[in-house]
Amino acid sequence: MTDHATSFVEDDRRFGLHPGLRARIAICVAIVTLMASVVVAATTMTVTRRTLIDQREESVSRRALANSRTVEGSIGRAATQDVQTVLSSLPDAGKPSVILAVNGQTVTASLDTRFGVDAIPRSLKDRVETGDSGIMRFVIEGQPVVAIGVPLSEQGGSYFEVYRLDDIDAGLRALGWTLVLATALSTIAAGAVGYWASRYTLRPLTRIGEATEAVALGQLDTRIDYDEYAHDADLAPLVSNFNAMVESLQDRIDRDARFASDVSHELRSPLTTINAAIQVLSNSADQLPERSGQALNLLRLDVERFTQLVEDLLEISRFDAGAVRLELDGVAIVALVTSTVANLTSGSVPVESDPILDDMVIACDKRRVARILANYLDNARKYADGATGVFVERHVPDAEEIEAGVPEDELTVRIAVEDRGAGVPESERARIFDRFNRGDQGGSRGSDVGVGLGLALVAEHARLQGGHVWVEDRDDGGQGSRFVVELPLLPVDDVEEDLSAATPEAASALTLTGEHKAISIGTLDQDTGVTP
Amino acid sequence: MAAVGTRILTVEDDERIRTSVKLALEDEGWQVEEAETGEDAISTFTREPTDVVLIDIMLPGIDGFEVCRSVRRLSDVPIIMVTARADTHDVVAGLEAGADDYLTKPFAPKELSARIRALLRRARPTVPGNPRLRFGDLEIVPQEGVVTRGDEQVHLTKTEFRLLVELANHPGTVFSREDLLEKVWGHGVFGDGRLVDVHVRRLRTKVEVDPANPRHVVTVRGLGYKLQP
Repeated sequence: MTDHATSFVEDDRRFGLHPGLRARIAICVAIVTLMASVVVAATTMTVTRRTLIDQREESVSRRALANSRTVEGSIGRAATQDVQTVLSSLPDAGKPSVILAVNGQTVTASLDTRFGVDAIPRSLKDRVETGDSGIMRFVIEGQPVVAIGVPLSEQGGSYFEVYRLDDIDAGLRALGWTLVLATALSTIAAGAVGYWASRYTLRPLTRIGEATEAVALGQLDTRIDYDEYAHDADLAPLVSNFNAMVESLQDRIDRDARFASDVSHELRSPLTTINAAIQVLSNSADQLPERSGQALNLLRLDVERFTQLVEDLLEISRFDAGAVRLELDGVAIVALVTSTVANLTSGSVPVESDPILDDMVIACDKRRVARILANYLDNARKYADGATGVFVERHVPDAEEIEAGVPEDELTVRIAVEDRGAGVPESERARIFDRFNRGDQGGSRGSDVGVGLGLALVAEHARLQGGHVWVEDRDDGGQGSRFVVELPLLPVDDVEEDLSAATPEAASALTLTGEHKAISIGTLDQDTGVTP
Repeated sequence: MAAVGTRILTVEDDERIRTSVKLALEDEGWQVEEAETGEDAISTFTREPTDVVLIDIMLPGIDGFEVCRSVRRLSDVPIIMVTARADTHDVVAGLEAGADDYLTKPFAPKELSARIRALLRRARPTVPGNPRLRFGDLEIVPQEGVVTRGDEQVHLTKTEFRLLVELANHPGTVFSREDLLEKVWGHGVFGDGRLVDVHVRRLRTKVEVDPANPRHVVTVRGLGYKLQP
């Protein structure tokens, strides 16, 4: 449960394709700002352009009209060849291109030869020829220009002035770039401000997130301070619902744990009586009639089985209720395995160990490691005429595992129990650690049948210590199976580090109790033992 | 077989358990007195000579822990707690209350008998010709069951004394918890290390000048305990 929760949280964080809430808020703020900036910039551009062009058109129109009057007056008296001089003498001569067309004769006063009479659009010419003055903007060879045409009523000719507008365009282009830059900057700034501001806004959510994570990791007493959010109409219900949810979850788990404990008491008491009574009967079994003796023996064997079943059920229900606690000790692992195996098999099963592990003290839960071994050995005894060997090996991640994401320095210790039984078919290997699954072996059992919880418990014991279990072929490839438990090879210093963070009282209790890393350490502080 | 006339007081409120355990223990040769409540137990204990007390934790009225403490105040007789719960809290609380050992229900009567025998065992004799063991200010006379610190006699329970002698017989040798469980309590492979830890703690409060910085009974990290010569 805990493992899942942790990896879930990590996965979620690692999953970068979906931006987080804060990033989303920042992006939204940035987009809105961008759109607003674009609208403002576009409006600015349009209005500015309009205004500049209107002003320019107005001023040049006025001047063209004035110039046309001057020209009209002058050419009435002057010869045609002097018209050039007249045009050249106009104020601001050379700035506009001036074109005068009288009865098919054209006089141009401009340095820019592109602006001949041919450049004037037909529609403007027609308009002027019919006696109206006109103004028109158009493009000559990529140059924006404005042309003003005025009819010369006395001579019956047309007077045009052409002005370049590229200075306006250059100005507008500069303004445009400035606006683009401003838009970009404000978008980025808005994003940054949004990201920063969202941290503040989202702080309650972050807080709830942390609380949820803590709950997922098993800290069921986690609560969020309601008073802090009571004034917030949006958050108050969320916080109070969260607290209520955790409360009921904790109640539920407590109830389950209590239930397991109550069941434990209820079942253990009658079993105690039954065990004692059977013992009394067995003491005088030789005085019983044969049939009664047989019946008593059956009763004794099945009470043993029943007792084991109750023990296993209670143990597994404690796992389910989360009522188990890991007690990490500094353990000389090889010595532990050797003595456990020797004790349980009266020395009939050899233990081989990697010399590198011989004096190594690692952090693990001694009782659970012994349980795992006992269950494996028991399993081998029941289904395969006993274990043939137990192996303690150090495992260094191989290339394949490193490829699969196992850190290179993640060392483990593997304890394997081999037998020469029928072996476990490939298809059964994953399921054999499930509860009440006896695999295909189930059909061929004799009278001493297990209850199918032993291997499930092994898996739970290993999982609690961050390890895992599996069954594979024997190392020598022969018939039989090899049941393995792999535990993290935690140097005992790591446990110490964990504890140094604890209270000084707990740390001193630790030395007093021989490095017992149980949560119960605190309760050992109070010594109510006999006083001298 | 048990020594003739060894008297066991069983405190258990469940009549069927009490009766069946009495029958099974009597088969093993012990003499059994029964008590149904904690109050009963204490009055019986003060009245009758008792060699071992067997206390169920869950009792109506005063609970097993309290009975245990009361008996401890009166005597250093071996006490075995019986619990239906192997939870850390119950076990540690029982040991803290002064119990020498504990058993969880359902237990095999033969196992109970073995535990009782182990607790009644005398301390192992030391090397012949060396009746006194001295460690700084600490002096142990195994044959007489006497420990003195400086001029003062230190009062130890039987189990504490046997634990100390076990360590003192091989000063400097490291004993794992499993070793000690087997030698002092007669437990097998699934013995509970907390038993050793709590007893070592109790022992230190009695034999060490500064129990928080023990000079005699020291911890060897990851391995166990030893007596510093």
